[in-house]
Amino acid sequence: MCLSALNPNTRAIVPGAPKVQQTTELQRPLQIPIHPQLLTLRTSQPTLEHHGTGYDLTNSVFSPDGRNFQVEYAVKAVENGGTSIGIRCKDGVVLAVEKIITSKLLKAGANKRIATIDRHVGAVSSGLVPDGRHFVSRARDEAASWRSTYKTPITTKDLASRMGGYLQAYTLYSSVRPFGITAIVAGWDSELELPVDGQVGSGPSIGSGGKVEGMTFGGPGLYMIEPSGMYWGYYGAATGKGRQTAKAELEKLDLAALKLSLQDGVKEAAKIIYVAHADNKDKEFELEMTWISNLDGPTKGRHQEVPKDILEEAENLAKKYLEGEDDEETKDDDKPAEGDKMEE
Amino acid sequence: MFRNNYDNDSVTFSPQGRIFQVEYASEAVKQGSVVVGIVSKTHAVLVALKRNAEELSSYQKKVIAIDEHLGLALAGLASDARVLSNFMKQQSLSSRLTYGRAIPVERLVSSIGDRAQTNTQHYGKRPYGVGLLVAGVDETGPHLFEFQPSGMTQEMAACAIGARSQMARTYLERNLEKFGACGREELVVHGLKALKESLAQDKELTVENCSVGVVGLGKGGKGLEGFKLFDGQEVKQWVDLVAEGAEEKEGEGEDEGMEVDS
Repeated sequence: MCLSALNPNTRAIVPGAPKVQQTTELQRPLQIPIHPQLLTLRTSQPTLEHHGTGYDLTNSVFSPDGRNFQVEYAVKAVENGGTSIGIRCKDGVVLAVEKIITSKLLKAGANKRIATIDRHVGAVSSGLVPDGRHFVSRARDEAASWRSTYKTPITTKDLASRMGGYLQAYTLYSSVRPFGITAIVAGWDSELELPVDGQVGSGPSIGSGGKVEGMTFGGPGLYMIEPSGMYWGYYGAATGKGRQTAKAELEKLDLAALKLSLQDGVKEAAKIIYVAHADNKDKEFELEMTWISNLDGPTKGRHQEVPKDILEEAENLAKKYLEGEDDEETKDDDKPAEGDKMEE
Repeated sequence: MFRNNYDNDSVTFSPQGRIFQVEYASEAVKQGSVVVGIVSKTHAVLVALKRNAEELSSYQKKVIAIDEHLGLALAGLASDARVLSNFMKQQSLSSRLTYGRAIPVERLVSSIGDRAQTNTQHYGKRPYGVGLLVAGVDETGPHLFEFQPSGMTQEMAACAIGARSQMARTYLERNLEKFGACGREELVVHGLKALKESLAQDKELTVENCSVGVVGLGKGGKGLEGFKLFDGQEVKQWVDLVAEGAEEKEGEGEDEGMEVDS
């Protein structure tokens, strides 16, 4: 938690409770007029002011105002990467990534960016691609080691925790650099209620042990892990270059209600990537999407690529939506795209 | 004051989130002589321009066979390429020993990608100063991969790296549509033509300065045509085809090339 002081974008977080990211405009803390110089330090971009002070040259070194600049610079690497998003739906989770085509010579459809960590967990990242591969490789090791220790698949939450710890370790030493990625981890965890000691029958209402009334287990999991090692659960997560636009779109979906179906989630995910890309039109991109459904759904709890026909349908809808949006640009900007939103 | 403080090691991010040491390593790749790789539905070829340090010295090796089903071409620090290729040979052999089968090309390329990534995240190491093109055949057909010092590996339809390689890439982009249906002979000729685009003005392709590596599916798309390296007089057949005056005569060598994917 102390790490939250490092990141200017951080807000108070209820641990464990998935939180929808707000737009930056909302999250900028109100400035209390203290010493003017202190104000500059808090709000300033590190680029110029801290150039030459030396505190930003080494990882693991605090500046006098308590920041680790190398971690902040790592975040900059993320902000230049292609947009990645994840959507937590009632019956599954979707991951999508905008793959910028850097060369015509790349083999189309190859070079997958969303990786399977364990059969029920997938991960995608924005930022330095080789760092993303390092992340995936470690995550797979964690998942495999969990299986061999506990004879049960790792939950998304536990994986996020393990990986959060791993990334955090890369902010502690001057001999390494932080990861230049923000990763989104999605999974479907078993909903079975396992009889564990201390959780059978009735017990204390607070503290460890005891059965919690109405407690649910497993289901969809979605976590985002930052270069600092901080991670939170999300209803909808976005990172990379188009994250602001993507977040704004995610907020329209009222994901906290957990009413969105996976099938619709796929369409929304495609739409969001297309909308987020619209700000960066000069470069071509490929959309890559994977999903994990519940046990009754299309993937039976496994992390898989979204089938071609469903992907294409979602892409066509996204393109159609964009064309429609261009026409409506002249009308009311604040009006949500969906009609049903207006009834509230 | 104007000195760049952020480029001393590969564990320091610049305020823009760049790692200069890695970017500088990519520059080393651009110092190496050009290599070209192209893949079709049946074959993957590597074509390289070799350089000699002086008139009387030998030419630097540019294409290295790793295993029966794959090989690589290098641009940049050749000694780094030797470290990586030795590692690849070990991995490839260990796959045969452990699983009784040839290692998939992507798996092997990822393994050196992961190794190179480590060098960009830990102090006291330096990024590899070499770029590689890896061509190989596995159960899913022929493949071509590009490896960069950053640890980035990408599967390509065609690729050129090294000095003045932009000209070669332009050629490849212009002819990209044709490659898929090419047989091995056509593919090599395309490779040499791309290579020729990148040649300095006073240079031309000779049997001395060309290396060609070919790997593909066997006749009729079945089995394997193992990775073979062609050097010296062995490349004369192709070099003559792209020499001045011999142009405009395409579709040479139908013997193996054309029947495969009719």
